[in-house]
Amino acid sequence: MIRLIRTELAKLQTMRLTYGLIITAAALTALFSSLENSKAGSNGSYVPPISSAAGLSRVTTVTGFAMLLAAVLGAIVANGEFRHSSATLTYLATPKRARVLTAKAVAAAGVGSIFGLVAGIIATGVGLIFVAAHGDHVALGAGTLIAHVAGAVLGAALLGALGVGIGSLIRSQLATVIGIFVWAIVIESIVGGLFLSLRPYLPYTAATTMAGAKLGNAAFGPAHGLSGGGPPPFIAVAALITTLATAISFLAARTTVRGDIT
Amino acid sequence: MAVIEVEGLTKRFSNLLAVDHVNFTVEQGNIVGFLGPNGAGKTTTLRMVLDLVAPTEGRATINGRRYRDLPTPLNVVGAALESSNAYPGRTARNHLRIEALLGHAPLARVDEVLDLVDLTDAADRRVGKFSLGMRQRLSLATALLCDPEILILDEPANGLDPEGVHWLRQLLRRLASEGRTVLVSSHILSEVAQTVDSVVILDHGRLIAQSTLADLTASANQVVRVRSPRAEDLAVALAGQGATVSLVGPDWLEITGASNEQIGALAAERAVPIFESITEAADLEDIFLRLTADAERSEMAR
Repeated sequence: MIRLIRTELAKLQTMRLTYGLIITAAALTALFSSLENSKAGSNGSYVPPISSAAGLSRVTTVTGFAMLLAAVLGAIVANGEFRHSSATLTYLATPKRARVLTAKAVAAAGVGSIFGLVAGIIATGVGLIFVAAHGDHVALGAGTLIAHVAGAVLGAALLGALGVGIGSLIRSQLATVIGIFVWAIVIESIVGGLFLSLRPYLPYTAATTMAGAKLGNAAFGPAHGLSGGGPPPFIAVAALITTLATAISFLAARTTVRGDIT
Repeated sequence: MAVIEVEGLTKRFSNLLAVDHVNFTVEQGNIVGFLGPNGAGKTTTLRMVLDLVAPTEGRATINGRRYRDLPTPLNVVGAALESSNAYPGRTARNHLRIEALLGHAPLARVDEVLDLVDLTDAADRRVGKFSLGMRQRLSLATALLCDPEILILDEPANGLDPEGVHWLRQLLRRLASEGRTVLVSSHILSEVAQTVDSVVILDHGRLIAQSTLADLTASANQVVRVRSPRAEDLAVALAGQGATVSLVGPDWLEITGASNEQIGALAAERAVPIFESITEAADLEDIFLRLTADAERSEMAR
């Protein structure tokens, strides 16, 4: 299994897409973090001043896009093999296909964690630069800021693994990528906005809370910033996303992954 | 000893019976041509042998085991099934390095196989920029990477120019001289006729022949052309012996179903003079086309 994981990591390392997605994740995090910082504390803004713990916590946890892109990478790792017919070689080398799926999930989680780390460092860095520029004191302790970055790392890793499950279940790369964005941006926002009790358990929303985001902060549209309820404990969120990734991967292993490679 | 055994292999895709109870074996150290027109079921059969496609019925084994049960399959079987199964953004060298990692092959082997398929100069170019012929060579390099004892090659000559086809023939001969077993598919017999020991011929998903090339040629009806001033008398006499005879020109007969010796003896017996006799060697391509045409007629009659 270690050799298989190393192979999957080597595949990711030799794909330009991996670097493109990491750069995109970094750029989007820097952009949205800067926008949140510049709006913080202004009249009518939903972002509290960054001199407050709530404000600084908000601007340093803008890591949701990086998590989404980790999920996209995971999906592409899985169904890109069918797009380029390289699944033939992969399954010739490892005919027990469930092992390939497991190795891909572990590799995508590993690379996904880099997305979370990069985004976490950038969001925290941008926030601290704005704090310093305003001459404010840092309202959050180092431990909290590090915990947010660590949460982003774990959240992105888990969404990367979840992406592998989704990409294994749905062979169309375009449909999967669009589906992931529609799910996070549209469906979770609508469902989360309508049913506040369900919101903490929606996978993308839940993953963002691991990085310290408040419920609703990562939502798009009218549901953005909608208060109500608190996130489940960190460990429960991790268990929830792990279970979901495992269940989807298991379903894929029993269905599409077994399919003929023609 | 049979290294590949295919027993009753059948594959149905919805309403299409792609492969219909196919049986054949490939003996160790042989080069076997797996022939049939496009759509005959060759690729589906090879993919079932390699556990990429699940059979509807039957089984295929390699060294007595199903492919998926081989402990290190790439060290036993090297397969080149299609020309474009490498990620296009990766260089040829990186593609082979990843395959080497998967197949427990030393990294030095990457340069060896690149050299073997004449791709050393293009090793650091992205596969997406390769021509079809270069991708075929890379596919062969991938198959050879883990030094397997058995090679399964699906239409390896596709996309190769005449020089490339010549190179492929030499490569197959070299692999044979190393004692490897090769199962190579093609829809053109002449592509592989100079290299293979025996053939397995498939059409419409069914096995229509498995034989050595020599037996296949011997089994074919030779055509004998004879010139005689009493061609019509000779035609009647030969037809009486069961031969098929047609008058193809003034004094010229075309005869199948009788050997040159039989024709000569009969002519002597009937005191028919023969001025000229030409025996046409059976053309393998004609035999192949006739066999597949016969299979088509049977299919239509069903």
